[in-house]
Amino acid sequence: MNEAKVQTGPLGGSLSEQTTRPDCAVIALSHVTREYSGHAGVVRALADASFSIVAGEWVAITGPSGSGKSTLVNLIGCLDRPTAGELKIDNVDVASMSATELDRFRADKIGFIFQQFHLIPYLSAVENVMLAQYFHSMTDEAEARAALDKVGLGSRISHLPSELSGGEQQRVCIARALINHPPILLADEPTGNLDAANQTIVAELLQDLHRNGHTIVMVTHDPEMAGLAQRKIALSHGKVFCHPVGGPMVTLRR
Amino acid sequence: MFFRLLMESFRRQRRRKMLAGIAILLGTTAVTAMLALATTIGDRIHKELAVYGANIVVYPKADLLDVKVGGVDVKPASGGVYLKESDLQKLKAIFWANNITGVSPELPVQFAVSRQGDERLFPAKGVGYWFDHDFASLKTGAPALHPWWHLEGTWPSRSGDVVVGANFAKQLGLKVGDRFRMQSAPGNVGSSSSTVNVVGIVTSGDETDGAVLLPLQAAQTLVGANDGVRRVEVSARTKPEDAFARKDPETLSPKDHEIWYCRPYANSIAYQIREAIPGAQAEQVRRVEQSEGNVLNRISGLMWLISAAALLAAGFAVSAAMATAILERRGEIGLMRSLGASKGAIAFLFYAETGLLAVFAGTLGYLAGSGLAAWLGARIFAGDGGAAEAVLIPVLLPVVVALALVVAIAGSTPSIRAALRMEPSAILREDA
Repeated sequence: MNEAKVQTGPLGGSLSEQTTRPDCAVIALSHVTREYSGHAGVVRALADASFSIVAGEWVAITGPSGSGKSTLVNLIGCLDRPTAGELKIDNVDVASMSATELDRFRADKIGFIFQQFHLIPYLSAVENVMLAQYFHSMTDEAEARAALDKVGLGSRISHLPSELSGGEQQRVCIARALINHPPILLADEPTGNLDAANQTIVAELLQDLHRNGHTIVMVTHDPEMAGLAQRKIALSHGKVFCHPVGGPMVTLRR
Repeated sequence: MFFRLLMESFRRQRRRKMLAGIAILLGTTAVTAMLALATTIGDRIHKELAVYGANIVVYPKADLLDVKVGGVDVKPASGGVYLKESDLQKLKAIFWANNITGVSPELPVQFAVSRQGDERLFPAKGVGYWFDHDFASLKTGAPALHPWWHLEGTWPSRSGDVVVGANFAKQLGLKVGDRFRMQSAPGNVGSSSSTVNVVGIVTSGDETDGAVLLPLQAAQTLVGANDGVRRVEVSARTKPEDAFARKDPETLSPKDHEIWYCRPYANSIAYQIREAIPGAQAEQVRRVEQSEGNVLNRISGLMWLISAAALLAAGFAVSAAMATAILERRGEIGLMRSLGASKGAIAFLFYAETGLLAVFAGTLGYLAGSGLAAWLGARIFAGDGGAAEAVLIPVLLPVVVALALVVAIAGSTPSIRAALRMEPSAILREDA
């Protein structure tokens, strides 16, 4: 007997219900288009995308190379602005923001988790976390240490990235993404560069974060990782195909 | 965190930073040396050209003497109008008094001489001079303004001492230590006779070789012109002559007249001398003055050219070094941008790096340039007595550091701007 559970979001009600209510959305795209002008003319990287992601939801963005995943991530990450349409993050239209406002907004609202970790090689683990504090407001070493402790790196705070394993580096990256308490975690292939053991650790960490109410938008090629999310947004040739809730959360087994 | 990032950039990119630093160091060294030399070049050129004599001559307005530098007055001494020796003290009160480096009054005399033990009288010409006279803070006189005179013996220090020209000594068979009798020529107002000691023989290459050089006071006694002088040579530090310097001050507006008056042109100083000494006509000796101006203008032009070229080269070198340094750190820039760092915050970090480098390299450049200036000064102006002078001019330090900052900032701006124009997402993906 298939007992497909419907996940309940932090705002109450079913997630499928929430996704139909843009007013509850932490991320809301309405007819968003992004075009780039190049030597070969105008390229439409994202065409008329409309969907919402509610607070506390875990959404996986999937699609082949060139499907527009990076464009979508850049837009949600406030690293770029749409050519047309409306993009609201936390109920604020980012399309109308100036570059400086967007920088500030990004620091407040988005925590990035990268495939390649992007840690500053000459800064220790705790300093890498403090770097995000520095560009957000002010540094607090105790808080940075606590963030590393939460991801299981309390004993590795003074190690340089080169002295950490891939999984540990990604956990530093997660601690850095969380340090300013952003409402949205944007993970770009978070396990793409990790071996199986570390992939499991990071996946479990993301599951914990989700259980604690974090909104996670994750780009992944890995079906198993995508399966952890509540919903998949598939992209193809710049077009969005929203999937309903993918099913019950599963424990990643290797 | 800011200082941590700043210091780490120096520690990690030592080679790049060193290249940029060396470029700034070389540029500022050249500029410091040029500026240090430029501030002293006027004095030094003046000293060098002082061998050609005074640059201003003063004579009685009523007199129509030709202006001859180093020449001996040929007009009958009794026939002219005299300036007062005591009036020369007024030179100490003119606006540009401190620029006067030498004063030499002259009083030509004609007299008759006879050797000891020989009653025959020979007509002779002489000139009364100051030899080592205290004038304000100067020790000045004819030897200081005629450095090309070659003396065997010493200059007169007492009223009975004279120096004779080489030809005169030859004619009379005189040598240092000999004595001869001088008698005022008929027609002179005064009439005196005295025996004088030859304390030196001078070779000048001009009319002075045939004359007797005696203390001014003795000459005044001989011609009976107490306190009188016929001509005064003045050596002054001046600003190179330009079109404005050649203007007639009487035709200038009051404002321009004041500007003209307050610039140390030879013409202005001569004008002030005319004002100070009643009945005096003062003129610049154009040959010396123009040489000084021409040399100064050419050297100044060359120095500016070298300075500009050095700074330009430094700017390009900084630009190249910073371009590579920033390219290497694109990943960091992308990450910082994704963490919410504004373009301004990142630009500030990079400008702080180049600024720190500029201050450090600029200060070293100032010290090295000061040393270079001393070395160059010693070689270019060897023999002017300033060879061992240290040219450490404190006021140049902020100027040089500011120039280093301008060069460093200008050199690194294109790279920083280019780095900030790149999309952080593109950098992060490219870096992956």
